[in-house]
Amino acid sequence: MEATVVCIDNSEWTRNGDYAPTRFQAQADAVNLLAGAKTEANPENTVGVLTMAGKSPRVLVTPTPDLGKILNSMQNLDIEGQANLSSAVQIAQLALKHRQNKNQRQRIVIFIGSPIAEDKEKLVKVAKKLKKNNVAVDVVAFGSEETNGEKLENFIAAVNSGDNSHLITVPAGTILSDMLFGSPIFQIDGGAGYGAAPGGDAAAGGDAFEFGVDPNMDPELAMALRVSMQEERARQEAATAAAAADGTAGEAGPSAAPAGDADKAAAAPAPVDEATPMDEDALLQQALAMSMQADSAAALEKESTSAAPSAVAPNAGSGQDAAMSDIEDEELRLALQMSMAEDAAEAAKESHGAVADVLNDTDYVNSLLGSLPGVDPNDPALQGALASLTKSTDSKEEDEKKEGDKGGK
Amino acid sequence: MTDLLDIIEWSCVECLNQNPSRNIGNALKQGYREDDGLYLESDTDEQLLLHIPFNQAVKLHSWAIKSVGNKGHAPRKVRLFINRPSLGFSEAADFPAVQEFELSEADLEGKPLPLKQVKFQSVNILSIFIEDNQKEEETTQVQKIVLYGSAGETMNVNEIKKVGEENS
Repeated sequence: MEATVVCIDNSEWTRNGDYAPTRFQAQADAVNLLAGAKTEANPENTVGVLTMAGKSPRVLVTPTPDLGKILNSMQNLDIEGQANLSSAVQIAQLALKHRQNKNQRQRIVIFIGSPIAEDKEKLVKVAKKLKKNNVAVDVVAFGSEETNGEKLENFIAAVNSGDNSHLITVPAGTILSDMLFGSPIFQIDGGAGYGAAPGGDAAAGGDAFEFGVDPNMDPELAMALRVSMQEERARQEAATAAAAADGTAGEAGPSAAPAGDADKAAAAPAPVDEATPMDEDALLQQALAMSMQADSAAALEKESTSAAPSAVAPNAGSGQDAAMSDIEDEELRLALQMSMAEDAAEAAKESHGAVADVLNDTDYVNSLLGSLPGVDPNDPALQGALASLTKSTDSKEEDEKKEGDKGGK
Repeated sequence: MTDLLDIIEWSCVECLNQNPSRNIGNALKQGYREDDGLYLESDTDEQLLLHIPFNQAVKLHSWAIKSVGNKGHAPRKVRLFINRPSLGFSEAADFPAVQEFELSEADLEGKPLPLKQVKFQSVNILSIFIEDNQKEEETTQVQKIVLYGSAGETMNVNEIKKVGEENS
């Protein structure tokens, strides 16, 4: 909680236009911003304003929490004469001493844009007095740096107690209020509210904040924005990397996912698909074929082995895995595999008219069977089965009938 | 006569010209003030101005101040004021005090120093102005300050009981 008196410089020097639009106007903007920040930081903070130049320093408004009064007092000020720093500061100190709420700590903010008439010794004496009375002082120097620089540094050094006082020198050609925004002057009560850690100066660039949000004003929001940005970037990188990998691995059919031995059976239709353009129809066909495969496997299994647990999932790959590993009868497995191969061939036929009759191509069937786990293509039983399969249209129809029965159930 | 520690309004206690790292708490707060290694020290010069508000009007009976160790830094001239919340250093030096003390070494060992009780009947804020120290050292050190007196009749909300509760 803090009571602040802002000393503004309304001397003739502030007509200078080196801080847009003029020194005085830039200062007025900065004072308005500062008063807003101070009153917002704590409802019990008060801000007063006094002018330093003119016939004598004049208190425009005694410390008040009412921002409207403060802004109002800044209107229609006369620019005249020379700033009288030491008496202005002592008047400000008196205004602070008689503050209503003794809980408030005292602070004077001096805006100085004209050469200081007082010598260094006098300023240091005033500073000592302020320090003795527990008054913190912030100084904003804009213009006349070469005459004021050393005096102000000594002044601040003498008044500083526990790093509560700051000197901000704003170079010409910048926006005064922007430069102040990230400065420790806006740091209230050790970092709360407009708090800026000592690193706050780094953000003094003003409008160049990363997300259009001053990280010092709302550190949590800024942090959330940054984290979200990082996550989005990571996601995009992963997506592009995955896309690149897919490109090298060829068109990935839905079933050509991670290669495991058992998956190869399910992957049987995939090579055929590769040749076809991936239009919607083809995809639909393929999906249909895969579901048929799974269903037929399940149907077969149900009919032949009641003992086998029916762990058949609707998705082809894992369903068949489970089904096949549970079937112990070698011949049944063979039959199952053949039926699957047949189904695959059928799917291929459906989706790709060019492959007229795969089953007649014994080489292909052999290679297909060879790729299945635990199947010896030279097994006489298998050969026999194959031979019978060459006239397989009937059996296919049978399969389809079974399918229909199953659907009927 | 009791120690008035409990009715000091701590949030409003103010000490002007204190060294921020050796502040008023070292001399006034329980525990801290019993430790001779912790003391209140002045900052830019030898003067200290303490404002000690109470959360109710109190009657002060006596006070004690302790400053041992650095004898030269011990306070010498002390002026007490009551109910002057805006007292500053210049007024404290010029205005007539309610009571003044010239402390000797014997006074600084922490034994109670009697006050003019009639003048300290209704104290809301006690201001202690330490004007200088024993050997005109740069800073003044105080290890302990205790205030004795009595608080007025107060109502403690926690003691309010429902009517009839005592009977049941």
